[in-house]
Amino acid sequence: MEVKIQKKATETIVFITGRVDTVTAPELERAIVHLFAETGITLVIDCVSLEYISSSGLRIILTAHKQVTAKGGKFVLRNLNREVGQVMNLTGFSRILTIE
Amino acid sequence: MVMEKILFLHNEIVEINKLAFFIEKIGNELGLSTELILNLNLVLEEAVSNVIFYAYPKGENHIISLSVSKTDNRLVFVLTDSGSPFDPTKIPDADTTLPANERQIGGLGIFLIRQIMDKLEYQRTNGKNVFIMEKQL
Repeated sequence: MEVKIQKKATETIVFITGRVDTVTAPELERAIVHLFAETGITLVIDCVSLEYISSSGLRIILTAHKQVTAKGGKFVLRNLNREVGQVMNLTGFSRILTIE
Repeated sequence: MVMEKILFLHNEIVEINKLAFFIEKIGNELGLSTELILNLNLVLEEAVSNVIFYAYPKGENHIISLSVSKTDNRLVFVLTDSGSPFDPTKIPDADTTLPANERQIGGLGIFLIRQIMDKLEYQRTNGKNVFIMEKQL
């Protein structure tokens, strides 16, 4: 798994490449957790190169959503592939998160 | 066609990496779709990581076995460990209908297993947890 963070004027984008599983999820959390505390941030997780996500990754997504929105920010998932999109549907995440 | 394979894993979290290769190889041999292979990977990761995290006292080394067999259109996974008794079929699901701020962080793993697989069964046999997960193809 690789994580790249791009800060733009209007939004901060996290690009995740590869697999977020039980082994790699703690690395993802360490890489992006500091962003959750920013006030009024628009945090975008770009999933164009995300191949797989297990419940350990979904927990980070839910935590990010809760913390970012609690600080008046916006949390967005972008460019999900079919398989990752299906996991979001199964878990009901697609109903509660903003997916573009 | 009848097929049977078995994978042995240590109770260490890095062993999760072996699961992906195992299920991908089986999936390709059986001509399963990418979507189904990823779903099965998800199920096995949730089931195996539960055992690795919770079945044994910290610092102890143990072997977990995962067998897979295919008969006609049934794919059956059997996960066996000698850890403390634990019936995954008894874990309540996460409530996926709640709004985001009320959603609990845990409970998703077993929910995903139930959603993806067609039949789950647990047995405690000879001091071992035996978790059977079946998928109709």
